[in-house]
Amino acid sequence: MGIEPLIMASSFIRALIEREFMQLALITGVFIGFLAPLIGAFVVIKRLSLIADTLSHFSLAGLAIGMYFINILSLPIGDPLYIGMVFGIIGALLIEVLRGYYRNYKEISMPIVISIGTALSALFISLSGGFNSSVYNYLFGSILTVGRNFVIIISLVTLVILALVIIFYKQIVIVSFDEAYARLLGISVRKFQIVTTIILGIVVSLAIETVGVLLVGSLMIIPVATAMKVGRSFKSTLALAIIFSEASVLLGLWFSYIFSIPSGATIVLFNIAIMVSVVILKKFFFNRSLKEKQS
Amino acid sequence: MRIDVDNLSFGYDYRTVLKNVSFSIESGDFLVIVGQNGSGKSTLVKCLLGINKVPDSKIFLNGIEINDFSNWIQIGYVPQKFDDFNYEFPITVNEILNVTKLTKADEDEKLEIMDNLGILTLQNENINTLSGGQMQRVFIARALMNHPTLLILDEPTVGVDQDNTDRFYRVVNDLNDQGVTIMLISHDLNSSKANFSHAMWLDNGEATLKNISEVALGGEE
Ligand SMILES: Nc1ncnc2c1ncn2[C@@H]1O[C@H](COP(=O)(O)OP(=O)(O)O)[C@@H](O)[C@H]1O
Ligand SMILES: [Mg+2]
Repeated sequence: MGIEPLIMASSFIRALIEREFMQLALITGVFIGFLAPLIGAFVVIKRLSLIADTLSHFSLAGLAIGMYFINILSLPIGDPLYIGMVFGIIGALLIEVLRGYYRNYKEISMPIVISIGTALSALFISLSGGFNSSVYNYLFGSILTVGRNFVIIISLVTLVILALVIIFYKQIVIVSFDEAYARLLGISVRKFQIVTTIILGIVVSLAIETVGVLLVGSLMIIPVATAMKVGRSFKSTLALAIIFSEASVLLGLWFSYIFSIPSGATIVLFNIAIMVSVVILKKFFFNRSLKEKQS
Repeated sequence: MRIDVDNLSFGYDYRTVLKNVSFSIESGDFLVIVGQNGSGKSTLVKCLLGINKVPDSKIFLNGIEINDFSNWIQIGYVPQKFDDFNYEFPITVNEILNVTKLTKADEDEKLEIMDNLGILTLQNENINTLSGGQMQRVFIARALMNHPTLLILDEPTVGVDQDNTDRFYRVVNDLNDQGVTIMLISHDLNSSKANFSHAMWLDNGEATLKNISEVALGGEE
């Protein structure tokens, strides 16, 4: 111990300065680390926490079909990511339709969409040559291999989503917390649902590049779940969620670089570590303040 | 706001809840709706708010057929329970009121409304830490944010202590004096301090409307 962490930090920082792939990974991580809990918060409020995992499985089908188009049919698509994004959006809209159809059993929509996504994924992964490293990357993330194109896309998407959230802040908050009242205020709830659903599909399919299909949900939900327990206002909860998320991304990138361990898993494990620490600290302080009150 | 209901029947799935309900109230009236649990009071209110979809030509708001009505912001509504509200996620009283006030009420008015309801000190409290009665008053304040010309209150004083119930009726009576049409659902007409002009009984989905002189003369059936 002692000087070792400093050396490790400095080699990480040197890599950030010298290696382009590290810079791209950092930018991607920071953007996803911001977007995921921002969108995740609204998902949690509406009690739709499982929607992110559902969409990631559906988006994987798009990625698999994209691989099939490119590898087997040699179609000039460029990157399976684009088909993945389209599937993210289709999956999101499909959930909305199914939720309307099974009005009293809305959660049925999730397993149905997961099933379709998983089945199509398995089928097209096999058709395009079976399990390989890109499939592994889709499942568990590959933030260290993102290209410049991806960084441009994620920057644009982050800017657009941030602008939308700022412009429509009031409406988004009312629709999330109280749909019935939103309607009464003349807000076109349906329109908002469709737009937010599409945004969700896009964010999920982009987040897959960072932590992979299997971990996307945790990136969106865990920082929010942590912040909910300590935030007092809506804005402070959002801010805390984003801080927790960014901290996990940075620590995760650092540790995965130093120890050569998978970045996605490391980021998510840091998210969980932060949650556990916050829960324990809260319990400790809460109990102490109770005791002080009693004495 | 003037309300006309013409021969409205409404049910959920296979069950009829409202049977041929007809009544009219004028702008500025104060209607109290009484009836046993399950008699369809909340259902009627949700029809008037467009939450329950009704066939054409059954309900008219200010003379406009409800399915063509768009000026919903004129209506303030305090739901019976807050089931529709996704609480447990942190949000302060101020944040709720600020996102609710779309344009009209300015900051001073907001504070005045909160003061009248005795919730001024709760501004920065997370709503999840409030008592039932405090929460109720926050939702009443929310209903007043956009200068409603019709205020619909669904059993607003259940679980609220006597002082705050009295305070609540002062606020509502004042609003009615200023010309706001009030529709108040109450489980108990006798104990309420509402200055109502009309009372309506819902019994098994059937409605009987009386004005205040008839109520005073005939009493409850
Ligand atoms: N969303 C709903 N779906 C099905 N039945 C409902 C629904 N809401 C209310 N009901 C039923 O309609 C009847 C009237 O309910 P309600 O209008 O809430 O009565 P009240 O407000 O007078 O107590 C009750 O039997 C209730 O169970
Ligand atoms: Mg009721």
